[in-house]
Amino acid sequence: MKTESQLKKVLAADHFAVTAECGPPKGADPEAVLKKGKLLKGYADSINVTDNQTGVVRLSSLAACALLRQAGLDPVLQMVTRDRNRIALQSDLLGASALGIRNVLCLSGDHQSFGNQPQARGVFDLDSLQLISAARQMRDQGQILGGDPLSEAPDLFIGAAANPFADPFLYRVLRLAKKVKAGAEFIQTQCIYNLDRFFDWMDKVRDRNLDREVYILGGITPLKSAKMAEHMSSRVAGMDIPEEIIRRMKAVPAKEQRQEGLKISIETIQALKEMKGVHGVHIMAIEWEEIVPQIVEGAGLLPRPNL
Amino acid sequence: MITAERKPLEEIIAMISPYRKILVVGCGSCVAECAAGGERETGLLSSALRMEARMTSRELETREMTLERQCVYEFIDQLTGLVDQYEAVLSLACGAGVQAVAEVFPQIPILPALNTTFLGQTKEPGLWLENCRGCGHCRVHLFGDICPITRCAKQLFNGPCGGSKNGQCEVDPEIPCAWQLIVDRLEKSGRLSQLETVYPPADWSRQQGTGPRKIIREDQRN
Amino acid sequence: MGTHPSDMNIDIFFCQQIDPAQDLNRRVIEKELGPRIKFFPLPCSGRIEPLHFLRALESGADLVFLVTCPEKACRYQQGNTRARKRIHYAQDLIQEIGIDPERLVLVMARPPLPQAIDRLTRELLTRIPVKGHSLLRRL
Repeated sequence: MKTESQLKKVLAADHFAVTAECGPPKGADPEAVLKKGKLLKGYADSINVTDNQTGVVRLSSLAACALLRQAGLDPVLQMVTRDRNRIALQSDLLGASALGIRNVLCLSGDHQSFGNQPQARGVFDLDSLQLISAARQMRDQGQILGGDPLSEAPDLFIGAAANPFADPFLYRVLRLAKKVKAGAEFIQTQCIYNLDRFFDWMDKVRDRNLDREVYILGGITPLKSAKMAEHMSSRVAGMDIPEEIIRRMKAVPAKEQRQEGLKISIETIQALKEMKGVHGVHIMAIEWEEIVPQIVEGAGLLPRPNL
Repeated sequence: MITAERKPLEEIIAMISPYRKILVVGCGSCVAECAAGGERETGLLSSALRMEARMTSRELETREMTLERQCVYEFIDQLTGLVDQYEAVLSLACGAGVQAVAEVFPQIPILPALNTTFLGQTKEPGLWLENCRGCGHCRVHLFGDICPITRCAKQLFNGPCGGSKNGQCEVDPEIPCAWQLIVDRLEKSGRLSQLETVYPPADWSRQQGTGPRKIIREDQRN
Repeated sequence: MGTHPSDMNIDIFFCQQIDPAQDLNRRVIEKELGPRIKFFPLPCSGRIEPLHFLRALESGADLVFLVTCPEKACRYQQGNTRARKRIHYAQDLIQEIGIDPERLVLVMARPPLPQAIDRLTRELLTRIPVKGHSLLRRL
């Protein structure tokens, strides 16, 4: 039975796609992964699994994706170039495909100094664009880097991340164009709070017709509290949270801030649904996966298409 | 130049503790430029070590010398005849110099007084910045003459990453994002189109080699 | 209590701009305190090197003063600032080998200049920050 990428099918059928994110545990328990999978099943078309995010050692993305695949879900394998060289990366792409994993998101990864292994050597043999190219080459030409043929090409839907809010601002659209040129087929953006700025970016994206060449999913991270909003705004690189959002969160008593955060997420999704060139949303509710069903439902995105 | 920093005195003192007669040798090139191992620093270190020995009632005799370079045989040879009178040599050269001297005088321990750090420039007196990683395949001209391997914390050839904020690197706000610098410089000089190319993976074998690298020039040999 | 200042070996590095008549003025003190006090005039305090301090201590000084021109009064602009950084460097260094960094004393002469070096020295001697001989001398 041939496995196909659910995400690809949904996007190709012109539906507004929903992907969610799942963080593996800092331990060897497969149940932790399966539990999150169960929570999200039916609420997202595909589920991203992070790859040792922020340089913290966690159950590997590849293994977690395999577990989710077995549970009948369509995982998106996040792959960072920080920890593995091209031999390992290409090998893992083959392995992922063999395990029925059909989506890969190519990233450089957070620098190792942020995590719990700051003395580790950052590999960075490839960068994210080079990984995208390599994956495309493997899939479309059945070759690894350097030209050696593969006995069987991997079957993968290839994605990349984009951050419309990071610097240098003017260059961000060029960067997206570059990722598309390298072979990215879908994009998940950094989480959006500043709709004006995102619209601005989309405007430039549409100017270059990039929205016709690549599927763009807008990132959504529900705010749990005003404190979280402030923390993210000041501490997390590439994050743009407008003052009015922070004020809105602060204006509400602590007990009700989660609800407010949920409301903001739903409003943002509704705005994205109306935005030309946005093909879906990517919900990153890390360590708050339970909220995803409410967001998806609240934004009128149920039921998910059964293709 | 190659930059280095003096090891903590505690470490140096421990290193020389088995020896009572030491030849302290400085280097007049790179390490003098970065104020770590030149004649001045050699004098300073020797004085400190002698005083420490006196205070701990240890016998220590030192002689100071500074070679123009410690990585070239011609200069190292100046130590011939002298080295035998000492139990150890405390070298203020970079790692290349320490080892070069040891090859000429393998019978005597050559102790490194410095920690060799990086290839860099003297931006201003007292400020040294790393700007080259010796990758063996210089292509800085493609990136506005800013090396992405050295100055980007993730060695991206198709940067920046998503962590660039206010022109600063996500790893350290004191460090400028190399890709911001590259983009700015190319934009100002109308060369931003250079970045439309998706640069392929680097050939790291030119840096790692198959072990330590070497260069041979027959036209330069005797 | 402590060793009387007159028992201590004291080296004084000072900027010549502070007292143009220093050559004459210091003879008074030199005669009074004898070989225990040594003066080292500098064309600018910024010419001091950490090595000067180490050599002074190694030669038996219990206390080394560095006297600079007042804030913003350095004839060469940055001299006294540089002097301050260099004495700090030397202080950190000697601390690493167990010598009290307070044996190196930075003094900024009070305006207006000139200040007679002998009068300045007498004042310094009333403000000795450390007690006793340096470890080096004791052994």
